Amino acid sequence: MPDPRSLSNSTALRDESVLRRVRHLGSARDGLQEWRLQRWTALALIPLGLYFAASMLRLATSDQTTAAAWLASPVPALLTILFVLAALAHAVVGLRSVLVDYVHARARLVAAALLVRAAAMILAGASVLAVLKLFLGR
Amino acid sequence: MERPLSPFMFPTWYRFQITSVLSILHRLTGIALAAGSILLAWWLVAVAAGGEVFAATHAFIVSPIGLLLLFGWSVAFFYHLCSGIRHLAWDAGYGFQIRDAYRSGYAVLAATALLTVLAWLYVVLV
Repeated sequence: MPDPRSLSNSTALRDESVLRRVRHLGSARDGLQEWRLQRWTALALIPLGLYFAASMLRLATSDQTTAAAWLASPVPALLTILFVLAALAHAVVGLRSVLVDYVHARARLVAAALLVRAAAMILAGASVLAVLKLFLGR
Repeated sequence: MERPLSPFMFPTWYRFQITSVLSILHRLTGIALAAGSILLAWWLVAVAAGGEVFAATHAFIVSPIGLLLLFGWSVAFFYHLCSGIRHLAWDAGYGFQIRDAYRSGYAVLAATALLTVLAWLYVVLV
């Protein structure tokens, strides 16, 4: 009895999953990663977010010296960077799922999702650089 | 025949219930918080840059619009946090009974109000 998997590999055109893929039907088989990323970042954001929100609501209206001193100390600097990265990763998945629901033209969906990713990367880069500058330059 | 689609149902035919309203709010606050991350990055860069950039940013934050945005951010954040925990419970398989869904929905609203009040008391008083 030949292994069915090797048989389907050697007769790929008859493989149901190949035909399905050609017709763009069925599971893409990699959606779970995005789902997991959304949940793991959500879990991480519970403590990170509470810490950051409690600190940020006070700091937002404070003067530059106070804010800079806070961001220059190791624990706030680290947790701020982690918060920003987790929040932006969470936002990219979340915004994409909104786009998937409301943008129906494939080209526009790809363009919008890419734009969201690019914006998130720029924001992440700028935020991390800003914190690192304060942390390293104290 | 043209059949009515979802958005047109809202004002007349569709009776709102807390479950759907909270679900919509979870998305809206998520989008708002994503937009807020632009302001957060801006603030971090302003603190790092200092000088005039920070002065302008600070003036904006302490203006009525800035404070309103900050308050709005806190409400959206605490709502999305509480509602997100409710979603995580669902992902883990808990709370699917209609009764439980309604209860956890009201709990989310209460927790949001509580956290917002506590956070601002902490900001103003401590």
